[in-house]
Amino acid sequence: MSNKAARNLFILGSLFFFAIFLGLTYDTMGKLDKRAPEITEKVNAGKMVWHKYDCIGCHTIFGNGSYFAPDLTKTTLNKPKSYLKQFLMDPKSANPNASMPKLGIRSEEADDLIVFLDWTSKVDTNGWPPKPILAAAGGVAGRELTEGQKLYQSHGCSACHTINGIGGTTGPDLTRVGAKHDRTWLVGHFKDPAAFVKNSAMPKVEAPESEIEKLTDYMLTLK
Amino acid sequence: MSVKYQSQKIAEYFYTFAVVLFLVQVLVGIIAALQFIWPSFFILNFNTIRTLHINALVVWLLSGLMGATYYVVPEESETELWSLPLAKLQFWATVVAITAVVLGYIWMGLNPQANSPIMGINPLNEGREYIEAPRWADALIVISVLLFLFINFMTMMKTKKWTGIQGTLVGGLLVLALMYLPGMFYSKSMVKDQFWWWWVIHLWVEGAWEVIAGALLAFMLMKVVGAKREVVEKWMYIEVGFVMFTGILGTGHHYYWIGTPSYWLWVGGIFSSLEPLPLLFMVWDAFRTTREARNVENKAGLYYTVAHAIFNFVGAGLWGIIHTLPQINKWTHGTQITTAHGHLAFYGAYVLLVMAMIYITLPAIRGVKSFDASRAFTSFWWMTISMVFIVLTITGAGMVQVYMERLMGLDYVAVKANYNLWFWVLRAIFGVGFLIGVGIFVIDFFRLGKGPAPAVSAAPERA
Repeated sequence: MSNKAARNLFILGSLFFFAIFLGLTYDTMGKLDKRAPEITEKVNAGKMVWHKYDCIGCHTIFGNGSYFAPDLTKTTLNKPKSYLKQFLMDPKSANPNASMPKLGIRSEEADDLIVFLDWTSKVDTNGWPPKPILAAAGGVAGRELTEGQKLYQSHGCSACHTINGIGGTTGPDLTRVGAKHDRTWLVGHFKDPAAFVKNSAMPKVEAPESEIEKLTDYMLTLK
Repeated sequence: MSVKYQSQKIAEYFYTFAVVLFLVQVLVGIIAALQFIWPSFFILNFNTIRTLHINALVVWLLSGLMGATYYVVPEESETELWSLPLAKLQFWATVVAITAVVLGYIWMGLNPQANSPIMGINPLNEGREYIEAPRWADALIVISVLLFLFINFMTMMKTKKWTGIQGTLVGGLLVLALMYLPGMFYSKSMVKDQFWWWWVIHLWVEGAWEVIAGALLAFMLMKVVGAKREVVEKWMYIEVGFVMFTGILGTGHHYYWIGTPSYWLWVGGIFSSLEPLPLLFMVWDAFRTTREARNVENKAGLYYTVAHAIFNFVGAGLWGIIHTLPQINKWTHGTQITTAHGHLAFYGAYVLLVMAMIYITLPAIRGVKSFDASRAFTSFWWMTISMVFIVLTITGAGMVQVYMERLMGLDYVAVKANYNLWFWVLRAIFGVGFLIGVGIFVIDFFRLGKGPAPAVSAAPERA
């Protein structure tokens, strides 16, 4: 192959692949809005807050960004919004172990940011992030779950709390919670956490009396 | 060695700025590494430190590439630069603009409210990874790059001696300038925001920058071992051609999970898994060309050139392909595996490239016949061994993270703070090793050719 032929292959080939890329981009642009909820003024205001505080300097969104702090794409799906708001405005008041600094995020900014994160959580991301294989399989691995364990799962408690190493770290570890508190405390705390723990960021558990009793039964087995 | 055209000496200005920023980048990198262990270490938060770490990297590499271009274009065109004063103006304007941007980041780091939008625009930090520079700085950067391209274009027009190397180099730089534009507008949709943002990031580092690297590799092989232009240019076209054929549609590997249609899984998976091929060609090219070389005067230049080719392939190619297929990337996306790839890829593909260009052109700029290369080798091994271990520790952290967080469902914070703690400690220690290597390099940069001439100047023939 002569140098000229190699050069022409480089230039024409690059243009050819760029043309395909442009075509795919055009097609994608027509499809993106259908794969995501409508963008309201609140969603956009929240996105502006996201940029203002350079959140991506620590967090990822859609998995892109910095890997210093958790990905926030689906965070509103498994953390209570009241908790998120308190955390955004004053992280250590919601979780004493939090590494996030208090940035001075105002109340309405926190609200907008949560609306924005609610938007990202509903974008069709081709199934990302995937559900953890082992945690998903853990509940069905040969043994029947108790009523309390099922309620613990259906209320999404593990988004914030850890039992035996599995679960979130934003709330206290519950592995031995049954040894620390009695039935009266646990039942009362489920109904109104702030009455038992000062500045508690946990939302009230909205459930019938019988379910709270079953959750408490489960907690008392954790010793 | 000496320069053929006096205006080539402008390259040293850009190299000096690059070297100083390199030192800054690694210093803040160590602060960032320590913040993984103690998040509240230092007065600036991690986000500001990381922004400084990455922006310093991008700017010093660009500054180094600009210096290299100002050196190469006069030599290839066989004439002085079209306007040396204008090139100096472009240099100083760039330094002033970059300094202003950095001060803005630090101010915002101390007082986040200072970045409150003015007429809908964040004045100090755009809050978009890698291209954090605010809109006013974007405009200045574009002006600087256009001026830079204009000066080089006019130089080429003076003699109209078109060579493949300068054409490919300036073509790559033109694409680099154009691909900055998709990052310069606001989109209300985070999905579209990230879509266009990847045009900048990916088409830079896996497109335009690799084309520039291909052109400079050809130039360096000619300079160091006296390879024939006919041959190196033909291989250069084939290499940069394959960079573009695979890299353009390889952008698709960033469009798997950000809200884009699922056909990108196919496009990205197929084309990005071919991306290591041109990098492998470059390694083969470097070995084939240098194998028979005798009487190489500039051993340091040769060393860095070949090391660049190897680590470009290992860091960008191998560490990229391990997690580029969507079936794997689904689990590794957004984890430390990406960080590991980023570190080795930038070190191999671009840090070593700019350093190789410095070692090949600086002796001529300073007018020294031969120089003592011992510091160049010492810094190379400190940096390379440290970087390899930094990358291995981050890769280990990434594997633990993928297994425990993604597969087992453990919480992000638990994995980061408990299970990966020792990886962060080791990473920080190797970071200090890297800093030592950079320190030796910086000393060497400022003293090269300025001390007494080496006692045994004919030593290179030993091989």
